[in-house]
Amino acid sequence: MANQLSGKSAFVTGGTGGIGRAICARFAAEGARVVAADLQPADDLPEGVDFVRYDVTDETGVKQVFDDLAERWDRLDILVNAAGIEIEKTIEETSLEEWNRIFAINVTGTFLTSKFALPLLRRGDGASIINFGSYDGYIADPGLAAYCATKGAVHALTRAMACDHGPEGIRVNAICPGYVNTPMLQSFFGDSGDIESLRQAVRDVHPMRTYGEPEDIANLVNWLASDEARYASGQLWIIDGGLSAQVQQMRL
Amino acid sequence: MNRLEGKTALVTGGRQGIGRGIVDRFVAEGARVMTCGRGERPADLAADILWETVDVARREEVDALTDRVVAAFGELDVLVNNAGVQIEKTIVDTTDADWDLLMGVNARGVFLLCRALIPIMYDGGSIINIGSISASNADPGLALYNASKAFVQGLTRSIAVDHGPAIRCNAIAPGWIMTDMADAAFAVASNPAAAQQDALQRHPAGRFGQPADIAALATWLASDEAAFASGQVYTLDGGMTAASPLNPGLF
Repeated sequence: MANQLSGKSAFVTGGTGGIGRAICARFAAEGARVVAADLQPADDLPEGVDFVRYDVTDETGVKQVFDDLAERWDRLDILVNAAGIEIEKTIEETSLEEWNRIFAINVTGTFLTSKFALPLLRRGDGASIINFGSYDGYIADPGLAAYCATKGAVHALTRAMACDHGPEGIRVNAICPGYVNTPMLQSFFGDSGDIESLRQAVRDVHPMRTYGEPEDIANLVNWLASDEARYASGQLWIIDGGLSAQVQQMRL
Repeated sequence: MNRLEGKTALVTGGRQGIGRGIVDRFVAEGARVMTCGRGERPADLAADILWETVDVARREEVDALTDRVVAAFGELDVLVNNAGVQIEKTIVDTTDADWDLLMGVNARGVFLLCRALIPIMYDGGSIINIGSISASNADPGLALYNASKAFVQGLTRSIAVDHGPAIRCNAIAPGWIMTDMADAAFAVASNPAAAQQDALQRHPAGRFGQPADIAALATWLASDEAAFASGQVYTLDGGMTAASPLNPGLF
């Protein structure tokens, strides 16, 4: 399968991270020209992916990047707001500085990037914005309070943007991953002693008996980015191996 | 395109509308497809598509259909429970016969199909149920229809939980898709043309859906691309339900 995104151009924030990198690789494989935007360059970016140094919290920098992009590209077809961080704390342990930082990246970053990308997104004949929510925007994981709150905010922002910019030909959706095998997940596992037992326990609680790989998420991002999804907008797409379809699994 | 190359699929309610859209797309993607309906084989159905005359509400007919699936395909990879009936009534006006017809097809039919076919799908099968946005937000005057779709979406989660990881099960909740069923729903308005225009303005996408839109998502869910997607209800409505029904711009 290839060329589903032939002729399209894409901008991916968090483009060198676990999920962002898989998205960039898939977009490039499908024939899109891709910019991976992130804080630090990666030395092994997929072929055909350009890097731009990018801080989603810096309004001046964000505006400059899109001003520059507008000089080179006639339009932008796909924007993926994948930049995000996680803080593994309750609210009591969370400092105001940490709270403001995670909101600046996960929520304000999505706002700023979308705001300054809009003029370029309007130039084509139909664009797709894909935000990153989380299943944690619906159901809390313990010790992730600020993270859960940021993802709830992204969900509401997604619907609002879909409502406002749909008439301009811009579709807006959010993907809400469950557990995906990324550095963020490994950090969540932390130093819990027998990590392999913990990993197996996490796999077993899923109806699909596994957690996801970044490629599983990229599969859905690719679909939402493509013309196949031309009627999909304003929705929060949970993809979690069935995890949130079930209630708490009691050990009986 | 060959996203479903080598796969076998059964799509209920393939005579028209969304069901036919899914049948045609699956065939175009390389799947071998059987479909069914209560009447005779439609004259315009392509020759390589298998047709069975079946009332999905009747157990003995579903059992016979299952035998035909086994005879034709051996195992089944994809089941789309699309057959559905809509009755434009409040519950006060709904008769016992209405209940039997609507719940027979929309609820009992999905149960019967899943019960009969899951045993021959245990090799990475994908079940796709057609729900509705009205499972979550009621359309006026469609009481049993709305409730039947809530049943479908609830059953979707149970199948995913009970029969994963071998089988994935998801539902699609379409919004207003241009079919005979949508025309029938608009027909109850005092001014159907005005009602259509009003509804259109509530769609951020600026248009109603087409069966091909739903078929595109069904294709993704049927394919191996969706290997991690299970237990979900995915809404495809041009953005309509993302916005509040109280729309000051339309006052």
